[in-house]
Amino acid sequence: MTIEQLAFYVISATALLSALLVVSLKNFVRSIFLFFLTLFSMAGLFVFALADFVAVTQLVIYVGGVLVLMIFAFLLSNRELLNNPEASEQSGFLHYLPGITVSVVFLGVLLMVLLKLDPGEFQWIQQSKENTLKPTDNTIHYLGINIMTRYLLPFEVVSVLLLMALIGAAHLARKEKEQ
Amino acid sequence: MVLLNFAAAILALDFYVTYILVALALFSFVAVFALFAVYAERKVSAFIQDRLGPMEVGKYGSLQTLADILKMLQKEFIVPAAADKILFAAAPVIIFLSVYMGFATLPWGPDIVPSALNIGVFYVFAIVSVESVGILMAGWGSNNKYSLLGALRSVAQVVSYEIPAGIAIISAVMISQTLDLQEIAIKQGVLSSESVKFLGFWNVKEIGGFLSWNVFQAPHLIIAYVIYFIASLAECNRAPFDIPEAESELVSGFHTEYSGMRFAFIFLGEYSMMFLTAMFGVVLFLGGWNTVLPNIGDLHLADWTTGPFWGIFWIVSKVFLIVGVQMWLRWTLPRLKVDQLMSLCWKILTPLAFFCMLISGIWQLVIM
Repeated sequence: MTIEQLAFYVISATALLSALLVVSLKNFVRSIFLFFLTLFSMAGLFVFALADFVAVTQLVIYVGGVLVLMIFAFLLSNRELLNNPEASEQSGFLHYLPGITVSVVFLGVLLMVLLKLDPGEFQWIQQSKENTLKPTDNTIHYLGINIMTRYLLPFEVVSVLLLMALIGAAHLARKEKEQ
Repeated sequence: MVLLNFAAAILALDFYVTYILVALALFSFVAVFALFAVYAERKVSAFIQDRLGPMEVGKYGSLQTLADILKMLQKEFIVPAAADKILFAAAPVIIFLSVYMGFATLPWGPDIVPSALNIGVFYVFAIVSVESVGILMAGWGSNNKYSLLGALRSVAQVVSYEIPAGIAIISAVMISQTLDLQEIAIKQGVLSSESVKFLGFWNVKEIGGFLSWNVFQAPHLIIAYVIYFIASLAECNRAPFDIPEAESELVSGFHTEYSGMRFAFIFLGEYSMMFLTAMFGVVLFLGGWNTVLPNIGDLHLADWTTGPFWGIFWIVSKVFLIVGVQMWLRWTLPRLKVDQLMSLCWKILTPLAFFCMLISGIWQLVIM
């Protein structure tokens, strides 16, 4: 086993275990901080998929943005509410049953797809055999060119959506006029 | 065959050992820097306030910070009874690591760079933003109202100031046309493979020196650098942007409850952050490891003063200069209020940064 493989398995295990703990921990604040670990190891997995730009973007958007916002929401809420969540009163097997059922069924679907799938049979996979990335390749040039040509319309639509969200947020944060 | 495999394994190990050695070297550099920066900070503040500063330990107090760190190493870990113990212990590690990881892509000289990533600029920008998670962790974990308020203030400030800083960085990247920090540094000196134009018209590729730095290649980057510098002060939580630690209001902000080695790690994180932001700015705007001296006629000063050791010398002295300015500002300017802080960020720095980005675009199209 090479060091790369070892690192891959360590990172994957961290991602899986921390994600499991995020949903099962009773302490909300700890689980939200653990979510940081999940997102961070996801970024590590993106690096192994040679998607370095996506990995760094994951850090900027999820860790630097979304996660910080979520923590802010937690920290500004009532501490007593966090320590004694109402949900913990009705614990027991029945309470967890729907969640467990859904996840087991989903795991079954994933396993079935994995077992039945023969990656070699698809034409597009066979065609792309020679067309692979190397770790030293500069991916941002391809990304930039593709965003500005092939995916220009979605890109612009997303930017208009973000602008709308910005204007909405600014409007909500404004002082109301005194009547 | 087995022997061959073994030899290959040793070679591969060797390969990784260099990585570990480089990381250790960077860590020890950062630690030593922090020690002496604390000493320098105390001496600078003393000079500005017409005092003597530390004078007892060693000649002119030069061993004062060594004595301080020895004291901190011996102290017991004090954890407040009501604190969240895991978060409280993890926070200093995250704060320091996020800054320390940023050093991975910063170039120190021609061919001296720990890891030349294609997206180095973006990587540094991203990894540094992880620090705010550590600060929030410290603020919550301490279970102290001053810590929590300090953490909230700190993160609100860091997140806001990331915007003008990011846009100022983009305007420099638009001139350099690459996100690889080492390539950005190469393009600002005599080693560049393309033409380097002083103010956009005079090709100074053979002359080098300060004439080929980014701020002199495109003069509007001087404004961008000033914006970046102000924002970097805010990201380091240093005066005049130190409301997260405002001593007169919040005791000392998010690290009120910390003591001993954990406090030392937070402090180490802060001083490495100063070095990191200064070095990042130097690479992007002020020529990185390139020499200050230009070639004048037969006097090839730039060629003589370009090399691995010269590179380290130049970048370290430039960064020390910038860190010195950071200290000077801290002991000169009063603290900004929250509303002044936010209006400076959103009403002055952000529009100016966008303006710089616009000029960079036009510059790229029309002049280069």
